[in-house]
Amino acid sequence: MITLEANYSKKIGLPGYSSHQFSVTLKSELSDITQAQAESARLYAVLQSSVDHNIQQVGFLPNVNGNGNGHGNGHTPPVETDAWKCSDKQRDLILKITDEHKLDKAKVEQLAQDRFGKGVKSLNKLEASGLIEELLEQTGQSKPRNQRFSPPKAGGR
Amino acid sequence: MIAIIENGAGPVAEPAPIEKLKRTVSASRLNCWLQCRLKFYFRYVLKLTKPKTAALHYGSVVHLVLQQWNMTRWRRQPFEIAKLKQVFDTGWLDQGSAIDWDGEEPEQKISAWNVLEKYFTETPIKADELPEAVEVPVEADLSSHGLPVLIGVLDLVRAGGRIVDFKTAAKTPDADMALHQNGVQLDCYSVLYREATGKRESGRELHHLVKTKVPKLVITPAEPMLEYRRTRLFRLMEDYVDGLDRGDFIPAPGFGCMGCEFLHECKKYDGGRHE
Repeated sequence: MITLEANYSKKIGLPGYSSHQFSVTLKSELSDITQAQAESARLYAVLQSSVDHNIQQVGFLPNVNGNGNGHGNGHTPPVETDAWKCSDKQRDLILKITDEHKLDKAKVEQLAQDRFGKGVKSLNKLEASGLIEELLEQTGQSKPRNQRFSPPKAGGR
Repeated sequence: MIAIIENGAGPVAEPAPIEKLKRTVSASRLNCWLQCRLKFYFRYVLKLTKPKTAALHYGSVVHLVLQQWNMTRWRRQPFEIAKLKQVFDTGWLDQGSAIDWDGEEPEQKISAWNVLEKYFTETPIKADELPEAVEVPVEADLSSHGLPVLIGVLDLVRAGGRIVDFKTAAKTPDADMALHQNGVQLDCYSVLYREATGKRESGRELHHLVKTKVPKLVITPAEPMLEYRRTRLFRLMEDYVDGLDRGDFIPAPGFGCMGCEFLHECKKYDGGRHE
């Protein structure tokens, strides 16, 4: 039996020169070493999603205007680190393609890193459009230029 | 033009084509609107279709190969001319059979590949230059200006935010005239780029692949869009929306009629009065 242990940790800055950090570790048992790559990618996606979800609750924050004697109630609004920079429509489309075609989220994330040097959520609208085109091509849904907007037809030459 | 659809929940009126055309706008539609409103009416309102012309096919296939070349660099794959030739040959065959070549297809095909080879030899874009975007559809919601959503597909955005548009041309273009004639399109792309990235483009470039006997490549650089040009573009969009509201499809007879695919329909058009 082979044991695969994966850890994902994230630290983010917060107002008032503070920060917080969260890490999650998972262990998985493999019957065959050939499963390692796929299982590793799966664990990465699960861990990242879990950490990203939980780290939004920043809890206590020192008083940003004063001397550090601030107080919090543990229910401060989520920080912006998890927000998508592209449009809502693009975000929904990326998630839809990934979901419908059971694409590996870690691979989609890696594709964004390879092409743009940043994660999927950090892509601006132009970059997100490029990623969507690539995903559509990978899943055999690429459209000719004049059918990209349907309807009406796309901009001209 | 209202279509009634019975869907079991009572009749539903489908939006009229004019309403659809007012929701979005593109560079090609604006250019057609400027050129001749009756042509616009035939092409976009009545949606009359015409057989693909030889020139359009030529340009489409050249664009297809250039897109593949840009994608190859974007994917950090090696430049392989044989693979691009394969894309060219396949693209040329697709939809090529319905075109009236007037016996010139072999010559045209050789010419199209020759301009591409010329481009690959003389292009200012280095093999290791990673594009910022290749053939991406983008849109800009201009509703805060009371305007439609601007849509378009950017051929290429070079590293650092230089917007490139590829053109095929029969004659060597004059730089000033090329920028003047393609101004609406370039300005549309600037608006789209700025909205999509939150940044100003660093410049624009027209890459003309000229299909003369000895092929040429002409690069025409342009500065980033100036504010007055943006205002001019927005005024044009206002005119587009107002004109559609008024049903203003008056023809504009002129030199452009020589190559217009709707000349026959235009001569017969009686404004819907059927006299």
